[in-house]
Amino acid sequence: MRFTPTELTEEELSLQQQVRDFLQEELPPGSHEPCLGMAANKDKAFSLKMAERGWVGMALPKEWGGSDRTAVDRFIVVEEMLRWGAPVGHHWVADRQTGNVILKFGTEEQRERFLPAICRGELGFSIGMSEPDSGSDLASVSTKAEQTTDGWIINGTKIWTSGAHENDWFVCLLRTSPMEDGNKHAGLSQLLIDLKSPGLEISPIPFLDGSHHFNEVTFNEVFVPDINVVGDLGMGWHQNTTEMAYERGGPDRWLSPFSTVEQLLREAKGTELEETVSDLFGELVARWWGIRNLSLSVARLIDTGEAPSIESSLVKEMGTRYEQEVVEKLVHLIDIEYSPDSDSLFERLLAQCVVTFPGNTIRGGTIEILRSVASKGLKGLPA
Amino acid sequence: MTEATGVDELVTETADRLFTQICDHESVQNAEAAGAAPEIWSAFAETGFPWISIDEDRGGSGGTLLDALEVLRLVGYHAAPIPAAETGVLGGWLLASSGHEIPAGPVTVLPNGNNITASVSGDQMTLAGTCTRVPWARIAERIAVLVEVDGQSMVASVNPKDCVIQPMTNMAGEPRDTVCFDGAIAPASPCVAGVNPESFRFRGALSRAALMAGAIEKMSQLTVTYTNDRIQFGRPVARFQAVQQHLVWGAQEAALARMAAETAGREANRGPAFFEIAAAKLITNQAAARATKACHQAHGAMGMTQEYPLHHYSRRLWSWRKEYGGDAEWSKWLGNAAVSQGAEGLYALVTGGSSVLS
Ligand SMILES: Cc1cc2nc3c(=O)[nH]c(=O)nc-3n(C[C@H](O)[C@H](O)[C@H](O)COP(=O)(O)OP(=O)(O)OC[C@H]3O[C@@H](n4cnc5c(N)ncnc54)[C@H](O)[C@@H]3O)c2cc1C
Repeated sequence: MRFTPTELTEEELSLQQQVRDFLQEELPPGSHEPCLGMAANKDKAFSLKMAERGWVGMALPKEWGGSDRTAVDRFIVVEEMLRWGAPVGHHWVADRQTGNVILKFGTEEQRERFLPAICRGELGFSIGMSEPDSGSDLASVSTKAEQTTDGWIINGTKIWTSGAHENDWFVCLLRTSPMEDGNKHAGLSQLLIDLKSPGLEISPIPFLDGSHHFNEVTFNEVFVPDINVVGDLGMGWHQNTTEMAYERGGPDRWLSPFSTVEQLLREAKGTELEETVSDLFGELVARWWGIRNLSLSVARLIDTGEAPSIESSLVKEMGTRYEQEVVEKLVHLIDIEYSPDSDSLFERLLAQCVVTFPGNTIRGGTIEILRSVASKGLKGLPA
Repeated sequence: MTEATGVDELVTETADRLFTQICDHESVQNAEAAGAAPEIWSAFAETGFPWISIDEDRGGSGGTLLDALEVLRLVGYHAAPIPAAETGVLGGWLLASSGHEIPAGPVTVLPNGNNITASVSGDQMTLAGTCTRVPWARIAERIAVLVEVDGQSMVASVNPKDCVIQPMTNMAGEPRDTVCFDGAIAPASPCVAGVNPESFRFRGALSRAALMAGAIEKMSQLTVTYTNDRIQFGRPVARFQAVQQHLVWGAQEAALARMAAETAGREANRGPAFFEIAAAKLITNQAAARATKACHQAHGAMGMTQEYPLHHYSRRLWSWRKEYGGDAEWSKWLGNAAVSQGAEGLYALVTGGSSVLS
């Protein structure tokens, strides 16, 4: 394990500037309610605009509508969007992971059908992994796909499916052959499923603050054609593990409270509060600078063709805890009764952080599970 | 040279090999008892390592600041009980920047030299005052004293024999002596532009960040090894998730500290790097706190003994955390920098660092 320092090239810095100019133009500060990281609002019009500039699915090949850009380029775009609190929710999952999965494991026909539409910012995807009885122990999923003449019949339930009520498709991890004794990783496959399929029912699970974020998705004899099987039958576990590696270690795992912190500075400027928060800001910029450098070095490593799964698990575990620590420091230092309907944007954002950030160390694999993954990769290495 | 870091690989290899040979647990322990380690120093000096980054025509060994910081990282990694930072990137730098000769032996500096007063006549300086926490003063051949006289930064190359030295130590038993200058007279000359008490403070912080990054990494590795060897309940304790948490947290802090120190070094090698150095020192300070806690916990009682080497690193880290600025000093500096950027410039500071401050 080694995180090598890296820095942005001239071209990369110019991309960063383009993204900043775009955001300044589209979402000038004060003109929008910033979103908190990747739990961002879905705004298809915004996604389409980003796509016009080639910033959705940008690391996918040109041949499929992408821009053949690097993981670092994508890092830059995502980083700027998130710190700005931009509404990237519509294309988020497709851009981060589903596009990669279809490119890597999908058929020619699937690539043609989905990738250009993803890169145009049109298609919204959900993630169909968790089930009522399968959370951390994901390999125990039991939603069944049974073969018929030209496809599959699905029965079972997926749960916590973010955005299923607004998205178009999801990739589901399903059991395509019965669980064998002692090898629960076998017999799983990934299927692309249209969220509007007959027999598929989406019921909201109200989030703790009453908002509608995730859902229960039940399958009652849902038919999925053969052409929607991603990759090889029975290889679902391997593919799913690869998919999860795309979820980890990026700016979405450490930037979520940034717009809140920025807004605090905006509101404190010129008031007594400015002095109170000054030292805290020192600590925050230092740590963000440090974690960002680690996360950027992971992106650079990906561009050299490596799969830095240990490194990205370490960054995600640390980054999501840091997000919560930032909120705790704000709450500790700023002695006000902040409320979700305050006139102050900072107070509204802070209230939202407090209520929703416990989920940051759970979604996409809990920090406890990440520690098990990461610790297996730690060895007493030479200097 | 590795393209990514700009560090000469040969420096890493040679220094690591050297310290592996000469800085085993016992010799570091003996150095603490004796208050000095002449054999370790002379083996180190023979390689020319102490003077890396000082121009050869000034009596140094050449090489870049990055190479010098890599040596310091390895000094920290091996807990080498020698005034490496003081002789090279701090004292050597001060002497070379003011036209003084670089002596053959160790040099030290005054980390807290603000209360020293000086009067200059011609090229002689007369010093007064007492300075505490001077690293390795007792074995130094010269003390490079940086003072401001009428707004001009000057360096005096003081012979410690002209001072009264009271031996004191830090928590790791490393010499941090009290030096009384009263009446000492020494040759003095002005510094080149950019060398002044402020830049010296930052450079001191950078040297500690490098040492600390090395020590944290070593601690983390010791902890992985120990917990895989130690058996309880019939299996290595590293198999317990509660212990894995300590391992992961230790490794994260090691990675964060090293990234911060190396990135700050890269920027300092190019020019002023105030933001990066301040951030790196604050990060390594806090990483030291978190990592020592996790690594000690995972070691159980063994980590609390003198017999087992963990303390060489943890005690140095607790000491270095407070040298050249603790958490409060650097948070304050960084906080002022951040607040002065305003909300609109805040993220540009995180990504652009010193380049947006200048
Ligand atoms: C906001 C949010 C959005 C989500 N969106 C989606 C989505 O779109 N699609 C989707 O498929 N899923 C989604 N999830 C679900 C998420 O992936 C799971 O919550 C997560 O994998 C944990 O599973 P669980 O909630 O069942 O917890 P459990 O697995 O029941 O865990 C409960 C506790 O036990 C701990 N634990 C469990 N096993 C172990 C172990 N072996 N060792 C140590 N500790 C253990 C866990 O760390 C946790 O602290 C979302 C979750 C959240 C919070």
